[in-house]
Amino acid sequence: MNSPRPGTKLTLGWWRRWSALWQKERRHTFAIPLPDRGVAGRGIWAGTTPHVAGLALFFVAAGMLVAGLVEMVGGDEGPAVLVAAAITAVVAGALWWPTRPGLLDHTTVFTAVGMTWVVASVIGALPYLLAGTFATVGQSWSVVLADALFESVSGFSTTGATVFGAHNPIEAQGAGILLYRQLTQWAGGMGIVVLVVMVLPALTSSGLGLIDAEAPGMGVDRLAPRIKATAARFWSLYLAFTAAVALGLLLAGMRPFDAVAHALSTASTGGFSTKDASIGHWDSVAVEGVILVSMIIGGASFALHNSALRERKFGYFRDRECRAYLTILCLTTALLAVLLVGDDAGTVGALRAAVFNVVAFGTSSGFNNATSAGALGDFAAWASGPQLLLLFLMVFGGCTGSTSGGVKVMRLRVGIGHAYRTLRSLRRPRALLPVRIGPASIPESIVERIAGFMVIYGLLVVGGTVVVAALGADLVSAFGGVISALGNMGPALGEAGPTSSYADAYPAPARLVLALLMLVGRLEIFPLLLMLVAPYRTVRTRSDRFLSALVDRRGS
Amino acid sequence: MIRRILLSRAGGLEGFSPDQRWPSWCTAAAVATTVAIGVGGVLGITAGLADLAGNGDDTATLLVVGGTSALAAAVLHYWTKSSERVRDVDVLVAITGGLVGFCLYVACLFLLAGTTSNVVDALTDAVAAGTTTALGVVTPEMEDHGGRMLVAGAQWFGGLGALLFGVAILPFFGAGREFADRSRRGTRRPMTPDQATAVRNIMVIYGIVSGGTWLAYVLAGATPFESVLLAMATSSTGGMTAGATLDTAALQWVAVAGMFVAGTSLVVLWRLGHGHGRNLLRSAELRLYVGLLVGGILLFLLWTDGSGVDGARRAAFTVTSTLTTTGFPSEPGGSWAPAAPVLILGLASIGPMVGSAGGGFQILRHRILVQAAIREMLRQLHPRSLILVRLGGRVANEDTLSKVVVSQFLFVSAVFITGLVVAVCGLDLATALGAAVHAISTAGPVRSLDGIIIDPASWPDGVRLALLPAMVIGRLSVYPAFVAAGTGFASIRDRTGLRRQWRASRRDES
Repeated sequence: MNSPRPGTKLTLGWWRRWSALWQKERRHTFAIPLPDRGVAGRGIWAGTTPHVAGLALFFVAAGMLVAGLVEMVGGDEGPAVLVAAAITAVVAGALWWPTRPGLLDHTTVFTAVGMTWVVASVIGALPYLLAGTFATVGQSWSVVLADALFESVSGFSTTGATVFGAHNPIEAQGAGILLYRQLTQWAGGMGIVVLVVMVLPALTSSGLGLIDAEAPGMGVDRLAPRIKATAARFWSLYLAFTAAVALGLLLAGMRPFDAVAHALSTASTGGFSTKDASIGHWDSVAVEGVILVSMIIGGASFALHNSALRERKFGYFRDRECRAYLTILCLTTALLAVLLVGDDAGTVGALRAAVFNVVAFGTSSGFNNATSAGALGDFAAWASGPQLLLLFLMVFGGCTGSTSGGVKVMRLRVGIGHAYRTLRSLRRPRALLPVRIGPASIPESIVERIAGFMVIYGLLVVGGTVVVAALGADLVSAFGGVISALGNMGPALGEAGPTSSYADAYPAPARLVLALLMLVGRLEIFPLLLMLVAPYRTVRTRSDRFLSALVDRRGS
Repeated sequence: MIRRILLSRAGGLEGFSPDQRWPSWCTAAAVATTVAIGVGGVLGITAGLADLAGNGDDTATLLVVGGTSALAAAVLHYWTKSSERVRDVDVLVAITGGLVGFCLYVACLFLLAGTTSNVVDALTDAVAAGTTTALGVVTPEMEDHGGRMLVAGAQWFGGLGALLFGVAILPFFGAGREFADRSRRGTRRPMTPDQATAVRNIMVIYGIVSGGTWLAYVLAGATPFESVLLAMATSSTGGMTAGATLDTAALQWVAVAGMFVAGTSLVVLWRLGHGHGRNLLRSAELRLYVGLLVGGILLFLLWTDGSGVDGARRAAFTVTSTLTTTGFPSEPGGSWAPAAPVLILGLASIGPMVGSAGGGFQILRHRILVQAAIREMLRQLHPRSLILVRLGGRVANEDTLSKVVVSQFLFVSAVFITGLVVAVCGLDLATALGAAVHAISTAGPVRSLDGIIIDPASWPDGVRLALLPAMVIGRLSVYPAFVAAGTGFASIRDRTGLRRQWRASRRDES
């Protein structure tokens, strides 16, 4: 039976009319599922957001299933992760089955991506809650909930900050939970929405908008003519890279489980480890070497990796962003090593600590090689100069199109170019001065977009620091924590150093604020903020229309 | 002969040697330096006369040096002919050169007057006073009236300079319209109908504010001389009291009122003075300024266990001193919550209204930044739409937006680099960040996390020297300092032919 299209039954009074208007508006801005009776026989709801989120949750459930099976094989824990997988699959089905992708305008794209990440992060906390991972003695349920949510968001956003610590060691957890933690980072590294685009049949070229909104950097390089093929190529590269890292770590002497687990968090430049002392647990040059190289590769653009592997074009040193990225890493390493040698460390030890920490921070991985608290690799014990240098690295991040966080080298270069151009324009007021990266001029729209991005980034850092400090963190911890969260780094300065736990450094409400900032940083600000702007604008539009309708009625 | 050479170099004389002419920015810098030496000379003479009321040890030195400098400045002013074509960049270079020259001159006066014998201390105090940053290290003896007047006078001239700079700099940051408003509709009297009237009006307002503050201090119980010192420190937002104390409640309330006025835009004071005060609260910047003060005081009370009249006074004093970047010292009354130092740093970096003597990034520029951020978010939703930024009902110029955004970038970069250098020189992380923010905001004093004021004299020389450029950059609202540095660098590069050589070598290579 064919039902009339929404908006056609307008004879039932002003309430029905206003309701229809509201639904139409909601579809265009919220992308919340709406009963679309216009499609005969299908009886499904139009809504891109729940459809994409539901499909993404299937992947999350699959990850939980794998982790749950490992847990069951290990036999050291109950079936908590499997139960979580089942619940997630049910929720995913409930979101995905009755819906289909609808309109894909800019607002819907941002809402779909933002909501998918929020839903995945919230549902992703289930295994921790069901397994009682953070339910230590004397802990209130609200703190347990906050910790589970924090760990989940930290995983999916590839931040690598953790609430595990001396009171609740990582090594005391079962294999299933440990693997699940690593899998969340791996899924977040390349992006769950990219995964969805790869399998979603209804999305064609519009899927590029979704990938673009999720991918780190200023845009997505099409690796193939079709968008699905591009998404598939990204993931196949990612999978191959992860396998290679796992093999390297295995050869370097790690146990198979640890090798796979660390490969998952290294390829994603996440930084979660299965050990409390992170990479410092092994105290092995070989392991550190493999991780180091993998982090550098993870921080470079996957488009470059693609052309190197498929087209045999080794363009790393020709690409200006990659060259700048490597130069920054080299220069900072040299400077840090000099400062550390001056800090009474031996030359080799200083160089080892410097290179590992610079790469870990420069790629936003956040691993550390301190064997214990206060050891040379523990940057919390360093002088303040080297720590500030690490803070700079937290901000700049890796290359566009990589799995790393931060502002990205390209944006930094364009920002510097913009500043230089503006200063020069005073000396040559009539000159036409484009911002250039090499021989290419950057279009003004992109320069403005990057400038706007950096302004918002700066405002978020300042605002976040005030809020986190108001919730009880000290100045350095708040500032470092906010920059670390926005840059998806992991360890921060002050109380939240590499050998510390976020649970000890920040109160639970502050941890939730930091978790929100991690998501904002992972999605590069806009999707999550615009997801919040859209409802506001809708409410405002609705109220405006409602008021004008009232005025019209009174007038007539 | 000397005059002939100077004129030729300054571009004012035809035919002497056209190839040897200095560029116009050099002429502008020479004029500014002349003014700086002249002002320094006046300061020296004033301090020498004030010293007569004290122990009189340095009177002769100060009068001779000050008089000679003033004379030299007059001669230089007569000889130096400014270039006919003055570009924006020339103005900015001149301002930077003038401030640096003034600070160096004041440092020499400190050394000659025996206020300190340490060059780094003299430089630190001179730059701190000249840039109205309350990070001085030397407190002159109570009987050394000359030294005390030098500190206060340098701040006062620094504040005046900042206001005069403001008229030149403000057009670069979008607030120029208020100053350039020459409409005489109704009973309106524009503040800056032309350059000379603008300078006169600014000096009159500044003088009235300083005089009023002095009177209020006297009425509140301070001695006339100490009132002069305090009034100069208050109206310039300098904050270096030169040994005078604000130890009574009445003095502190006067200081609060004085600082509030000093942090207000001159345009607001001008309109108030001409009976157009009714519409003042329409100014979004003024509303934000008052809102920040009230909000800051309430939060400060909340985060420092403050209560009662004493607590309110202490909170009002500390917050006003911070937001206006005055930096009068105040001891913490209670235990500080972790957020209190963050609030202090935040307020210092925000600063007061544009067009005041205060430092920081200033409220109007923050508004512009927020508007630009909102526009960028809306652009994500509507990439092809034309979204304009409005300030006070007027559409903001794209160029202005761009410059404010770049200023923020440079501000943050300067904070980071200064913080890094002072951290390497030995300060801990929190103090390094605090010192960098305070220096660039020309605020002060730097506090530890529990609110205790840190004495900059306890810092190594390297730290204090590293903070000097930051203070100058901050006083010049960041932008001109970078322009001046860039122009100087470009000039050296062009003169030495480095770029030509580099390009030639690249051409050869290719």
